[in-house]
Amino acid sequence: MEIRGLSVGYGGPPVLELDELTIEAGEFVSVLGPSGCGKSTLLSVLAGFVAPTTGTVAIDGQDVTHVAPNRRETGLVFQSYALFPHMTVRRNLEYGLRTRRVPRAERDERVADALRLVHLSDYADRYPQQLSGGQQQRVAIARALVTRPRVLLLDEPLSNLDAKLRRQMRHELRELQREVGTTTVFVTHDQAEALALSDRVALLAHGGLEQLGTPEELYRAPRTRFTADFVARRTCCRCARRTGGARCWAAPSRAPSGPRPSRCVPSTSCSSTPPAPRPPTVPAPGTVPRAHGPVRGLHGRALRVPPARRRRHRAARVPARHAALRRGRAGRDHVVRRRPPAPRDGDVTTPPVPADPAAEAPASAPCGRRDAGASCAVTSRRSRPPRSSCWRSSCRSPVSSC
Amino acid sequence: MLAFLVPLAGLLVLSLRPTDAMNNPLPGLTLAQYGEVFSTPYLWGSVVESLWLAVRVSLTCLVLGFPVAWYLARSTSPVGKAVVFVVTLSPLLTSEVVRSFGWRVVMAGEGPVNVALQALGLTDESLPLLRSPWTVFLAVVHVLLPFAVLALSASLGAIDANLLRASADLGASGVRTFRSVVLPLATPGVVAALVIVFSLSMGVYVTPMLVGGANQSLAGLRIQTEAMVAFDQPRAAALSFVLLTVTLVGCALIGLLGRAAERGRRG
Ligand SMILES: Nc1ncnc2c1ncn2[C@@H]1O[C@H](COP(=O)(O)OP(=O)(O)OP(=O)(O)O)[C@@H](O)[C@H]1O
Ligand SMILES: [Mg+2]
Repeated sequence: MEIRGLSVGYGGPPVLELDELTIEAGEFVSVLGPSGCGKSTLLSVLAGFVAPTTGTVAIDGQDVTHVAPNRRETGLVFQSYALFPHMTVRRNLEYGLRTRRVPRAERDERVADALRLVHLSDYADRYPQQLSGGQQQRVAIARALVTRPRVLLLDEPLSNLDAKLRRQMRHELRELQREVGTTTVFVTHDQAEALALSDRVALLAHGGLEQLGTPEELYRAPRTRFTADFVARRTCCRCARRTGGARCWAAPSRAPSGPRPSRCVPSTSCSSTPPAPRPPTVPAPGTVPRAHGPVRGLHGRALRVPPARRRRHRAARVPARHAALRRGRAGRDHVVRRRPPAPRDGDVTTPPVPADPAAEAPASAPCGRRDAGASCAVTSRRSRPPRSSCWRSSCRSPVSSC
Repeated sequence: MLAFLVPLAGLLVLSLRPTDAMNNPLPGLTLAQYGEVFSTPYLWGSVVESLWLAVRVSLTCLVLGFPVAWYLARSTSPVGKAVVFVVTLSPLLTSEVVRSFGWRVVMAGEGPVNVALQALGLTDESLPLLRSPWTVFLAVVHVLLPFAVLALSASLGAIDANLLRASADLGASGVRTFRSVVLPLATPGVVAALVIVFSLSMGVYVTPMLVGGANQSLAGLRIQTEAMVAFDQPRAAALSFVLLTVTLVGCALIGLLGRAAERGRRG
């Protein structure tokens, strides 16, 4: 998907301007930014609800700038889900297939497949009001996915959920996206979410693109003060001794008017006074160290699988389970791009950390107040045997779980 | 409730009274008045005529009111909304007498409509528009349209705009979105609008009276004639009850139709 020279205004001054933004097939890109920076506007433009003042939007190399929303084949998941209240879950899912005149047998099969994918097969005949928020969200995602959209657009789909469900859902969401391999644009204002999930993150600010890059790049090499501020704000951690692993507290979000605490400099901020430093055990390259216990994923399967095996696993699993979802869509390759195994959900994984972070991250005073932020049980990849002490390096990576 | 039921009960009793030669109600109970109503085309014909008028008016108000209500519920232009709102509600803001007199002026033998028709060469002589049942029909639609618009726009406004976007995003054309999303979700509003307009137009009296005169075959006018000209109050009461029953049955039918439409779409 390519966006060029885009400028959007609602009949007034432009609220969003993007020179260029290219999203690769199969990529999961998060759009991150403060409230009112134009994230939803961007999705509206991509879905075709708002016509840009200037610029073009192309999907699969086809210019869709002036194509009506119902001909764009995008799949938009609304923040409010926007499920049709007068239709059952099944009807909601069928809707996009009926409009595409998919024959009945195939329709049934694809709906059943999609329901299985989101674990809602037993809820097919309920009405949306009879489902929990998380279930409704999964219906919304399934409804978008079942049409095999060219692009999946998600507008803060997790923002209505409580913290726990949210973590679980984003995990499932990413798993799902990996399985189906649809190009995805995920809008959020939660940096932890963006960093944890995405292949790349587009940080928007004041209606423009502030920085585009992998979570790692944004986190490690923020190009502007804004980026550093925005991305690092909540990863400013404080470590403490805990039995069984490291623990960190999110730093308090800065009071809007107050000065930025100088200690909360991105990525160097996590340092309690570590007791008697032990040399960190660096995992052998190519392996992903285990977290505390196997973390159960979408299908109750342990998620931590060595990369090589994981790739094979995925390739073998997908066609079998979701053949119907993957098939079809003539002329389009839905196979997941071969990427190096991306980091899994940040709850348990972090982007690769340099061998000796202590070397580049000078110890600094602890920052954050523990009362202000959520407590999060992040386990460093490094703390394979549960450690009783915590290193400055152990929660300095983009932590998603606060 | 009581204030509504007591007079109604009184009316029911009155409709069952026999009358003397001077149409004075006598003690005792009889169904003679109803027999009279059902055997006199002059009387039951007026109920049929009213029913026919009410059906036409309800459907017309629905069709005319829907786009207006849609505009009121969906438009983002505050000025446009205010203008449409005031124009729609204007019949309710003017007195019935003034409004009806307005129709008389417009539809008079030398009124603007006749002048326009003749100027366009559609007719050579001035038409007796005021005596035409269509003028009464138009005048009644004019009074009742605001009720339809209000009922419809309330339920159309309650439809989440994102549902319409979601529908388009899932590949539905505008027509399909209307049929599959807007109409089903607006069904309660449609039923409400139909019930209100239907029942009001069944009993409509002042407007047809002032526009078309007292000599029309409409139940409201006949009841008035029976009660105030013939002084046969039991018969007027019986006719009222027939009218009331027909109205209630009509409303029930509308409700059932709405229910069936909702179920049909779901099933
Ligand atoms: N329909 C509209 N008419 C006029 N201005 C609008 C409209 N929708 C959004 N805007 C303006 O465009 C800007 C971007 O809005 P947008 O909804 O894209 O923000 P956002 O990044 O999604 O914010 P949030 O995180 O709060 O959802 C805002 O300044 C907003 O005031
Ligand atoms: Mg938004």
